[in-house]
Amino acid sequence: MSLLARNRQQLLSFGCCYLRICLKYILMPCLMDVASTFNSQRDPTELKESLKDLYAWHAIPLLNYTPLHKLKDQCLVRFRGMIQDMMDPEIYLECYEVKSTDGNKRVQHGKYHDCLKLAAGEAIDYNADSNVHGERRTLFVVSVPGLNDWTKQHESKCSPQPQLVSQTQWPNNAKKRTLDDQEAMEVEDDNDAALKRKCVETTKSTSDDATAAAPSVLGSEYLINSPLPSRPSMACMVKVYEDFDSYKLNSLVDFVGILSVDPSLDAATIDTEGFDSLSELQATHPSPFLIPRLHAFGVRQLPHANPLLDKSLQQPADAGASEDPSQSSVHKDLRMLLKLCLFDDDLAAEYLLSHLISSVYSRSEMQSIGKFALNICNLPKDSLAEYTTKLYQVLELLLPASHYLPMTLETMNTAAFAPKKDYETNKLVSGMLQLAPHTHLVLDETCMQQGKLEANGVHAVQHLAHLINSQELKCDFQYYQIDYHVNIPVLVLSEGRSMLPSDFVLPINADTKAVQLLDESLKAAHHYLQPARLQQFRKYLTLARISPFNVSDEHTEMIQQDFVDMRKANSKSNADDLHGLLVLSRLLGIARGKDALDKETWQLATEFEAKRRQRLQALPKSAAQIRN
Amino acid sequence: MARRDYAQDRESIKTFLSEFCKCDDDGKKQFVYGSQLVKLAHREQVLITIDLDDLSEFNESLAEAVIENCRRYAGIFSDVIAELLPSYKQQEVHAKDALDVYIEHRLMMDARVRNPMEQRDERNSFPAELMKRFEVGFKPLSTEKAHSIREVKAQHIGKLTTVRGIVTRCTEVKPMMVVATYTCDRCGSETYQPVGSLSFTPVHDCPSDDCRVNKAAGRLYLQTRGSKFVKFQELKMQEHSDQVPVGHIPRSMTVLCRGEVTRMAQPGDHVVVSGVFLPLVRSGFAQMIQGLLSETYLQAHRIICINKNDDISDKDAELTPDELEELAQDDFYERLATSLAPEIYGHLDVKKALLLLLVGGVDKRPDGMKIRGNINICLMGDPGVAKSQLLGYISRLALRSQYTTGRGSSGVGLTAAVMKDPLTGEMMLEGGALVLADQGVCCIDEFDKMADTDRTAIHEVMEQQTISIAKAGIMTTLNARVSILAAANPAFGRYNPRRTVEQNIQLPAALLSRFDLLWLIQDKPDRDNDLRLAKHITYVHCHSRQPPSRVKSLDMHLMRRYINLCKRKNPTIPDELTDYIVGAYVELRREARNQKDMTFTSARNLLGILRLSTALARLRLSDRVEKDDVAEALRLLEMSKDSLNQTHEHQKGHVPNTSDRIFAIVRELAGSGKSVRIGDIMDRCMTKGFKPDQVDKCIDDYEELNVWQVNMGRTKITFM
Repeated sequence: MSLLARNRQQLLSFGCCYLRICLKYILMPCLMDVASTFNSQRDPTELKESLKDLYAWHAIPLLNYTPLHKLKDQCLVRFRGMIQDMMDPEIYLECYEVKSTDGNKRVQHGKYHDCLKLAAGEAIDYNADSNVHGERRTLFVVSVPGLNDWTKQHESKCSPQPQLVSQTQWPNNAKKRTLDDQEAMEVEDDNDAALKRKCVETTKSTSDDATAAAPSVLGSEYLINSPLPSRPSMACMVKVYEDFDSYKLNSLVDFVGILSVDPSLDAATIDTEGFDSLSELQATHPSPFLIPRLHAFGVRQLPHANPLLDKSLQQPADAGASEDPSQSSVHKDLRMLLKLCLFDDDLAAEYLLSHLISSVYSRSEMQSIGKFALNICNLPKDSLAEYTTKLYQVLELLLPASHYLPMTLETMNTAAFAPKKDYETNKLVSGMLQLAPHTHLVLDETCMQQGKLEANGVHAVQHLAHLINSQELKCDFQYYQIDYHVNIPVLVLSEGRSMLPSDFVLPINADTKAVQLLDESLKAAHHYLQPARLQQFRKYLTLARISPFNVSDEHTEMIQQDFVDMRKANSKSNADDLHGLLVLSRLLGIARGKDALDKETWQLATEFEAKRRQRLQALPKSAAQIRN
Repeated sequence: MARRDYAQDRESIKTFLSEFCKCDDDGKKQFVYGSQLVKLAHREQVLITIDLDDLSEFNESLAEAVIENCRRYAGIFSDVIAELLPSYKQQEVHAKDALDVYIEHRLMMDARVRNPMEQRDERNSFPAELMKRFEVGFKPLSTEKAHSIREVKAQHIGKLTTVRGIVTRCTEVKPMMVVATYTCDRCGSETYQPVGSLSFTPVHDCPSDDCRVNKAAGRLYLQTRGSKFVKFQELKMQEHSDQVPVGHIPRSMTVLCRGEVTRMAQPGDHVVVSGVFLPLVRSGFAQMIQGLLSETYLQAHRIICINKNDDISDKDAELTPDELEELAQDDFYERLATSLAPEIYGHLDVKKALLLLLVGGVDKRPDGMKIRGNINICLMGDPGVAKSQLLGYISRLALRSQYTTGRGSSGVGLTAAVMKDPLTGEMMLEGGALVLADQGVCCIDEFDKMADTDRTAIHEVMEQQTISIAKAGIMTTLNARVSILAAANPAFGRYNPRRTVEQNIQLPAALLSRFDLLWLIQDKPDRDNDLRLAKHITYVHCHSRQPPSRVKSLDMHLMRRYINLCKRKNPTIPDELTDYIVGAYVELRREARNQKDMTFTSARNLLGILRLSTALARLRLSDRVEKDDVAEALRLLEMSKDSLNQTHEHQKGHVPNTSDRIFAIVRELAGSGKSVRIGDIMDRCMTKGFKPDQVDKCIDDYEELNVWQVNMGRTKITFM
């Protein structure tokens, strides 16, 4: 039965990637055989060398999109994700001496392995002089939270399907063989849910007889720890061996390494006697079928999550073939599209576009420069209910990663926003705001009802405000809090002024005609977004976000002079206004494909700001504002 | 490295323990360890701590060897002490617990029964661990730096290491078996098994000669009373937030405590732990996987809670000569001040004041009365003048600080709350922000937005530096030796120059007088300032960093350590300065009287001057206050007054109308009362040469401004 299943698998995978495989065989025969199964005798440094070529990454299957049962233990895989947590360092045996019963000795490498490799009758000699200890770190990586569907589809298209190669490695390794059997069994019940259930069951049964006082078993959701519970991520524990300090929390990383799914890694299989903190043990040793281990030797920090611009992902033939039009024409098209979605409001389209390409590009002690938190308010009441979600649907198509958060009282009061350390399990329990850089957060305040905001809700508002104001996320370590830098553009949609702070409040000027025609215009917008055009927009937005921008000295002086005049004219204008103007002019410039500030852009920015201020003046004032 | 000769080390340890002495104040020799050994022998002391400073004085290489291979030497020390103890016994010791009695009986039995010629099984003789009723601990060298957990690496294994952090979790104290004692059910002989690791395999078969020879197959039974247990506790400790590099997760470490070092810390305590860093040998736990990994832990020798003992000299904080030289330049006072929140442009005097707040004045206790040394400052100002940033910076710079906002905190939240434990029903005290910031700074933003009742809760803190609680059976006084840094907006959002200072501030005098300095930061358009601000901001935007300034700002870490150093100084005010200070104060009072000053000049100002000048002396790392310090303190006080008054004068200078002068007279008449009879006003104004219609106009003008109300009969006015 198991043989049959495997054959079927093989046939399937073989069929669908026949062409690609042929190509690869011609291009890089060396990697191909690596990708199938990692041979321990092979020198990893050689592999690392070959990974310097970004095209070499193409051949490695992405763990994110490949079901675990299609992959072999100890094969080469790739995982893209966000660092969610970092665990304490491990001291392991880099080299160790193995003695067999007949007195033979051999030295075995422990790097890139989880388990000792011992044949029957062999034992490790802990006191041998040739033993070398090394240090490695475990990173808890989750697949990028809030990754949009198109990004996922694209990435999975890029991932080569692995074919199961018949087992030739590890001669006379008894343990290895049992593993194969298990794997084959899993192929049979080709069902993730069943797998999960099985894991939980086994954990339960062992813990029951282990200790009566043991706390309830940790659920798989708790173990995987997705920042966005509604859009579950996949988790992987990545062991890294070098450059420990270069890994930052919440950063995007692409790892290539050796997959390790040895069932003995599961805490459930371990004799738990003598452990005080069972839940911690379980959290640090979850089932490898739920959270696989990856021993990384190829590491790439990703500047953005857009797969269209990533050379290490093989682009499907249909994309990228057409000639890219110039930045300014894409800009014009995109602005028109946004205008269509924003009740024909040109100014709003400009601001939204600037928001979409904004990014914190510099930080000093207390400020983060370049943030562009936008609050679009004054949305016409009659079309509210569907409008916000529909607008988000358009944005979702454009951005690689984003999240829509309806600010209902219930979400505010119950959801976890900021990560919190759980000392029982020694895990950083994630929150909704733990997002990768450039993940757009769209807050829908129109969902808010009147009611009581409880303690959690108050904290949630504080966390959001802190995020918007300083682009930092406060993680709760119970005894103290630590701020982590984030780069999450926040867009707030509200009826009146938002209760959250923002850098730019823009009351929308809805054209009455456009309000009536909203449904049609949104339909038109979707129709307009042909695949080819979508690709253009997606590329454009990411490119604009990471492009540099300069301000010459001559223009600096002009800006300074303008500010002094502005202060003279209106004493209420302050430093924040100047910050805002500088950011806006930068983004307007970048959007138009410029790489330096010119007078025209600066004037455009001041003009826009003046218009926006006028609109703000026209807004009805609340009681609190009148008092001031 | 050459192997050390342990036999020789043993001898030198013996000499060290018996002969090491220090001279006390009278010149007499004190045998530090000899006297402790006597106490150990008499069972009056359990823990003997070997100070490695002493050992290194005696034999430097031996001390180094102890640090390198701590566990082994701990064993040697304890063996040597066990050997020495009988000779230190000066009197008969009464048995203290069951184990003492047990040991005594066994020894007596042994002496009676024992055939001196007989060979005995090793297991059946008393193991040394059973007989030792003391523990040995090492105190690290005083030059040893406290590491952060992240700095402890594989090379520290086996060494005596000192680590600083915060306790996050601790287990209950459990008994751990050190020697297991068994009795045989056949021959009745006792068998002992020393236990070295966390788990052990019990022995079942009796190894005694009787059973072996007779093949009786005696079974062994564990005897609880005869076994020796020690207290055992496992702590989890985590890095403190200032030790975590940006973007990383704090690390944690397991600490195992045995015997006397248990129960030393609780979750939340800041601790410095010295101990031996060791790999953990777990038996059973899936040797196959974890055979590749080794867990590590710290075997604690000494735990110090920093909360409880603030005098702990953190070697980490010592300044290097280079840094001292950098600080010792002429303009260090200004440099330090500008280095506070370098992003915020200007406000040099405010920053100077904040620097003094961080350093703090000297506490005094003449005749049991306590005069606080902490400096309280209130920053007032228009929205958008970076008050909050200043506060935020200070709260990050200060070693211990709390940041709250007025709207977000109630009086209880600031002081302390009494809570009922849901499980035990016991009442517990939960410290609020002010208690948590004890010996530090409490920053309160939006001070004006706080409810009055809540604000009064901090009156006591600001002067007495304590918090008294009398609630539901708990009556206590908590220490809150805290500097308060408050930020407030003027009463009407922006500072209104047309109103008086009091009206703009709207805080009660009782509270205002408790602030040593009150600063008004105004946001006025001013060409030069604006241009500089614009330059600053554009620079930051274009170059992604702070513009190079004339003085290079100091690094936060360095500042923190320097301030810490300053705090250790306790300067005094020499007698010859008293006259000068008294004179200055009298002058202040006189001026205040003459100018009808709207700010408050009271005896508290005098104390404020003293506090500021001692803080300035501390900043110079001097033990004496000098005249310049006092002069600078007076200048700061003057500047803070100016910041409040200038707007007032400004307005007067431009529009010197009669109404204002009449208003001043009315205010004076009203004094502390709220209402004044119009008749009185008329009388007073006539004598000053004003006409009745002018008085009427003034009354009408100010009524319009809502400063006061006039009653229906137009006989009385009442201030709002």
